[in-house]
Amino acid sequence: MSMDQRFVPIPSDAEDALPPARSTAGAALRAALRRFPIWPVIAFLRGKRVPQHRATAWYAMGGLALVFLAIQIATGILLMVYYRPSQPWASVQRIVNEVPYGAFIRSVHHWSANLMALTLFAHMFSTFFMKAYRPPRELTWLTGCALLGVTLLFAFSGYLLPWDDLSFFATRVSLTEIEKGPGLGPWLADLVRGGPDVTIDTIGRFYVLHVTVLPLAVLAIIGAHLLCIQLQGVSEPDRFAALPEREKKYRAFFGDFMIAEIPIWLAASALVVALAAAVPRGLAPEADPFAAAPAGIKPEWYFLAPYQMLKLFPGHLELIGLGLMNGAMLGALAVPFIDRAVPAGARGRIMTALGAAGLAGFVVLTVWGRLS
Amino acid sequence: MSETRDTESSAGGPGGAADARRGRRRFLALMGGLSACWTGASLYPAYRFLSPQAAPDPFAENGRAAVEKVTPADVARPGMGKNGGYAGRGVIIFRTQAGKLRAFDSKCTHAGCNVEFQGERLFCNCHGGVYDLDGTNIAGPPPRPLTELEAFEQDGLLYVARIADPAKG
Repeated sequence: MSMDQRFVPIPSDAEDALPPARSTAGAALRAALRRFPIWPVIAFLRGKRVPQHRATAWYAMGGLALVFLAIQIATGILLMVYYRPSQPWASVQRIVNEVPYGAFIRSVHHWSANLMALTLFAHMFSTFFMKAYRPPRELTWLTGCALLGVTLLFAFSGYLLPWDDLSFFATRVSLTEIEKGPGLGPWLADLVRGGPDVTIDTIGRFYVLHVTVLPLAVLAIIGAHLLCIQLQGVSEPDRFAALPEREKKYRAFFGDFMIAEIPIWLAASALVVALAAAVPRGLAPEADPFAAAPAGIKPEWYFLAPYQMLKLFPGHLELIGLGLMNGAMLGALAVPFIDRAVPAGARGRIMTALGAAGLAGFVVLTVWGRLS
Repeated sequence: MSETRDTESSAGGPGGAADARRGRRRFLALMGGLSACWTGASLYPAYRFLSPQAAPDPFAENGRAAVEKVTPADVARPGMGKNGGYAGRGVIIFRTQAGKLRAFDSKCTHAGCNVEFQGERLFCNCHGGVYDLDGTNIAGPPPRPLTELEAFEQDGLLYVARIADPAKG
């Protein structure tokens, strides 16, 4: 049967893989493939597989972070309908008190943000300890670090938008710290604030960052991150790679692994809804730039570690604390260029120890910051 | 000249092709350079657009600034103090046990939260910075004393002014 010249013939392996031509799905897929010759791409993706071993569950973290991101985008779009950057606190109060399901949607946005940050930390540390960052996957690691950074910038910029007591002083503290940075610090702080202090002008800047600049950035970087993973495949930990070929077990990514993740995604969504219902996000009194900072003011948990560092390095020692934090962040970027050997050698073991120390330090500072 | 080269390259001679490649590369470099200049030049207005305007001098009017949210009644007796503002900034005004009216810019020299008057001391709730009533940092993370201002009452209103010599405090 010869097709019209305008259409692309369907490859024979596609014919074998597609549902029968008489079914609706089969007919639709064939119609699409005759118009767009993308079967090689699909065939490539069908070949993607996930190594099956004790730590396989950790491979779900990246996908889980994407689920939370999807929730953030959906609830964020809804919140934008009522949020007014010119009347920040009043408009959030209206969302909380008057708009049907407003308090709920705002709380979902809050909790999903927290869980997204938590999932990304888990994702980062699991790929770190499985040493998935080693060549040729440097770019995957770097784009992953960028995604964590963008997520924290999302959290930071979104925190100011309700313009309550907490958000005002949290932003003022962070920008005062940036201001102390050597060289470009004061210039950068003024540029971000829109002046020497946090004012309603700062809201305009943070709002634009939060709803246009950062979303575009996060989508672009996720695209690069996922492309890296698709093109290079999932990294195999040393112990798995050392197994004889016939003992290595894999699962198909799209046909098997991802389908098995669906219950996890549903459970995660249910957790967000449950947290939002049980612990709704509060709204503190409107920011008063003249009032004293309220007693007991604390940042969100993911900023407790730097918060505690600020308290630990008093006076002029502070630059040491800031230097340590920035050093740790730059050090994370350098990881795939320092620890390169497969299987891991002495450097690899030192790197694992450093990572464990970094994780322990982060946890200790976070708990200490919470309790102090 | 260019016509000759076109003829040569379309003739497919090896020298002609190399020549055409060179010309093409030169053209691309020129266009790339021009595009970079254009982008750079158009970034300048965007940068200026985003740069904050210079903040006005808070004491521009007769060398003083009116205090908001604190009235003389709020600091009438020794041991009374209150947070307020002047020219968009925070100020803490209190009356000492000796009856003297004192004012400090309330921005903590550590991380910039507004300090609180607690009778015997000035305290910052953000990171636990402590200052005595002279504004000197005595505990916690603050690296420097608070900036003192001169506070005075005139026609039932409070004003603050810059202290010419901070040492006379």
